Amino acid sequence: MPTRSTRRTKPRERSPAVVAPRPPLLSLELIERLLSAAMSKGGELAEVYVERALVTAVLLEERRIKSAQTGLSQGVGVRVVAGAKVGYAYSDDLDDEALFRAATTAALIAHGGGSEQAFKVSRAPSPSHYRVPVPLSEIEVAKKADLVLRADKAAHAYDRRVKQVVATWADQTKHLWVANTQGRFAEDTQDLCRLSVQAVAEGKHKERRSGFFGGGGRVPFTHFETFTPELVAREAARQAVSTLGAVEATAGQQTVVLAPGWSGILLHEAVGHGLEADFIRKGTSLFAGKLGQKVASEKVTVIDDGTVANARGSVNVDDEGNPGELKVLIEKGVLKGYMYDALNAKLMGQRSTGSGRRESFKHLPMPRMTNTYLAPGDDTPEDIIGSVKKGLYCAHFGGGQVDITNGNFVFEVSEAYEIEDGKLGRPVKGATLIGVGPEALKNVSMVGCDPMPDPGLGTCGKDGQSVPVGVGLPTVRIDDMTVGGTRVGG
Amino acid sequence: MDYLALAQKLVARAKKKGARQAEAFIEVGRDAACRVRDGEIEDLTQATSKGVGVRVIKKDRLGFAYTSDFEGQSLEHFVDRALALAEAAAPNPLNGLPSRKEVGATDVGELFDPQVAALPSDWKIKAALEAEKAGKAVDPRVRTFESVGAGENISEVYLASSEGVRAGFQGTYVYLYAVPVASDGDQLQTAYWVDYKRFLDALDAPEAIGREAARRAVRMLGAKKVKSQQVPVVFDPLVAASFVSSIAAAANGDAVYKKSSFLAPLLHQRVGGEDLTIVDDGLLPKGLGTSPFDGEGVPTRRTAIIEKGILRSFLYDAFTARKAKTHSTGNASRGYRSLPAIGTNNLYLEPGTKKPEDILREVKSGFYVTAMLGHGANIVTGEYSRGANGLWIENGELAYPVQEVTVAGHLLKMMKGIDAIGSDLQFRGSTGAPTVRFSELTVSGT
Repeated sequence: MPTRSTRRTKPRERSPAVVAPRPPLLSLELIERLLSAAMSKGGELAEVYVERALVTAVLLEERRIKSAQTGLSQGVGVRVVAGAKVGYAYSDDLDDEALFRAATTAALIAHGGGSEQAFKVSRAPSPSHYRVPVPLSEIEVAKKADLVLRADKAAHAYDRRVKQVVATWADQTKHLWVANTQGRFAEDTQDLCRLSVQAVAEGKHKERRSGFFGGGGRVPFTHFETFTPELVAREAARQAVSTLGAVEATAGQQTVVLAPGWSGILLHEAVGHGLEADFIRKGTSLFAGKLGQKVASEKVTVIDDGTVANARGSVNVDDEGNPGELKVLIEKGVLKGYMYDALNAKLMGQRSTGSGRRESFKHLPMPRMTNTYLAPGDDTPEDIIGSVKKGLYCAHFGGGQVDITNGNFVFEVSEAYEIEDGKLGRPVKGATLIGVGPEALKNVSMVGCDPMPDPGLGTCGKDGQSVPVGVGLPTVRIDDMTVGGTRVGG
Repeated sequence: MDYLALAQKLVARAKKKGARQAEAFIEVGRDAACRVRDGEIEDLTQATSKGVGVRVIKKDRLGFAYTSDFEGQSLEHFVDRALALAEAAAPNPLNGLPSRKEVGATDVGELFDPQVAALPSDWKIKAALEAEKAGKAVDPRVRTFESVGAGENISEVYLASSEGVRAGFQGTYVYLYAVPVASDGDQLQTAYWVDYKRFLDALDAPEAIGREAARRAVRMLGAKKVKSQQVPVVFDPLVAASFVSSIAAAANGDAVYKKSSFLAPLLHQRVGGEDLTIVDDGLLPKGLGTSPFDGEGVPTRRTAIIEKGILRSFLYDAFTARKAKTHSTGNASRGYRSLPAIGTNNLYLEPGTKKPEDILREVKSGFYVTAMLGHGANIVTGEYSRGANGLWIENGELAYPVQEVTVAGHLLKMMKGIDAIGSDLQFRGSTGAPTVRFSELTVSGT
């Protein structure tokens, strides 16, 4: 371990990241008046969402801090629901005129007469699944810069073949307030951060491989005293170096074993999205109408949990003001439930599961995952790998994508090894996994006893909106998975 | 509000507070969108937004801050913050804004369509409903739509810098899309079709969008896996455009400088056949990616990345160009929330002379790819592997739908292996391509 950086002992500089006075929360009285204005055309339900987000980012490349950045965005979104129709307007001007213009614009979705009804909201108590005593936005930027500098040093020190390192720090402190005409008023402060490192190693014949690792979550800055930049950097460097000399992936069906942790992204894509209520209501997901049916191997229990302590995808309240929840989606292979936001819940006669999320005030909320994981089984990871005569061990994934309608999903496997007679063999490059969600889940034949959350890496995109998510998985064996590659046969 | 004057004021403040150079980039926009479902409005969204990003260089250090809060005091505070942040960055003598000699604006013609700016909500609702209706009429198996919608955007960009930039422009765009779902009782299949134009008159008719989307979804019903094999593969224009984007990503001057691109050692070398020309054209008349200057005030231009098979140029912004001892190609792309980064303007593969039907007809057994999943193009190594949907080609005819397979190859070998380029160049956004055939790629299935 390198000793604590000397930077720590420097006199405390005036922190540039400490911005602005405490955010000017719109007064409750103003929010209530906006709700009235939003209902002036006879809407059924109206909601005012107020957000203020401060971000800081530090980027290191070519062995030095290239830039430090900060940003502030704030605004208000007003939503009016009339039956299944939604009117939405937002403004980043917070003066009364702009706000009331947004409210009356959203109101136009309803065509009824105007009634000047008054609405009262009251504060709903909310739980706390993440405690970040010092908001990340108030940590001085020099400390954040120090993390990326340490990561750079550690990645280069890991192996001489590491030629390039890009390290980034990003944090956000987001305050949100949401009120609706059902009287609910909720607020939350959501801190989020991520340290990430990309390392490129160069081997013989100028072969270049890259590795990527990182993590964080809704954690205090002290998280990085144990989840150190050195740990992050060495893992990125290890991936890059250990995949040098990789052989081309063989195309075709194989038994695959997924490493624990970040591999949970497969679950997120293969089944998670297909269980979001908007797709179910519209009948566009292949999981629609299958509640109570067997959709996976009995070894498969899938949970989406918005309450995991300090996890990247956790929410004290979702972006509609409903508390985050633990939902069992699939239990021992049987489909148990879907993830609902308020609108789809209302239209489907269900209740919200605290799954209504949005990227910002510029977006309408929709049902989204929080932290999605596979419950552990009984097998040891050694037994799982040992059980495979010939297959592919997927140690680390790049990104993935799913077509929720036909269920096709794909993943890029960024670090993989051959499995021969129960042992890990040569590294494999350019492998992609492809499958159809329910089929892949039916082929889950072993589930490890080593549950592991991902380190806090994931961002999920849906309809152009990005939200932070967590995933997790124990070691898992899936039979007959199609592996995409360049080599046919052999 | 006079935004250009505001940008200049922010630059002046930064200079006064000790910045050697400063730049303010302001975006102001108005968006409206609508989605419909089963003949009814699903949602209507309207908004105005704005924001400013300030880039400062102080003692060779780079600082950046953005805000959407235009209150006077808050704005001053935020300029000071950008300067304070520069202290946390390392000095780099190459840091700097484009010089007076580099900046300017090109006359690119009109980018603003008054018709789009005055588009009533009713137009969007009607257009989306027509697209939905036309899509449903294609085939009874078109059950529903995941979404059908239309929208428009009016945006203004203002840029001022201590190095003499003082410019702005206005632009519009309008779009229409349909995502139908087809079902045969057994399988669900989806597809999407979209059009995106600066000018309303150039936009495809709503019926055409709905019909094409539906046709693409219905023909996928009954899709199955095929066995793993190496065969000729044809990309339709939409899929070919994403392939062209991968090539452009590898031509990013920053990746090249860091040797993180497989194209880095290949400048002025042959990377494809005589008929392979890939261009980034910031001047394309009425192009979605056309603008008089890039994100840091350098005039946009036409850059041939690959010309007749020879790798001719990489894409640069000012900073990367300075590092690589070359000049900016006007490819600094940005929004107010970010520092400029290298991107494309209007990117396209020049069309060939072959009709797309003929390109398919010449294939005895092969794969016609019409949609892809995943992002599996590795520009460092050139490895390419993506999930693919489409139709199997047998004896020159489209025989049956295929899903749950991947196509894989190596980007360089793929370029060299292109053996037919169609005459059907089309843009569905700012990247365009015609139909392209690769002599052989690996299809992974059973």
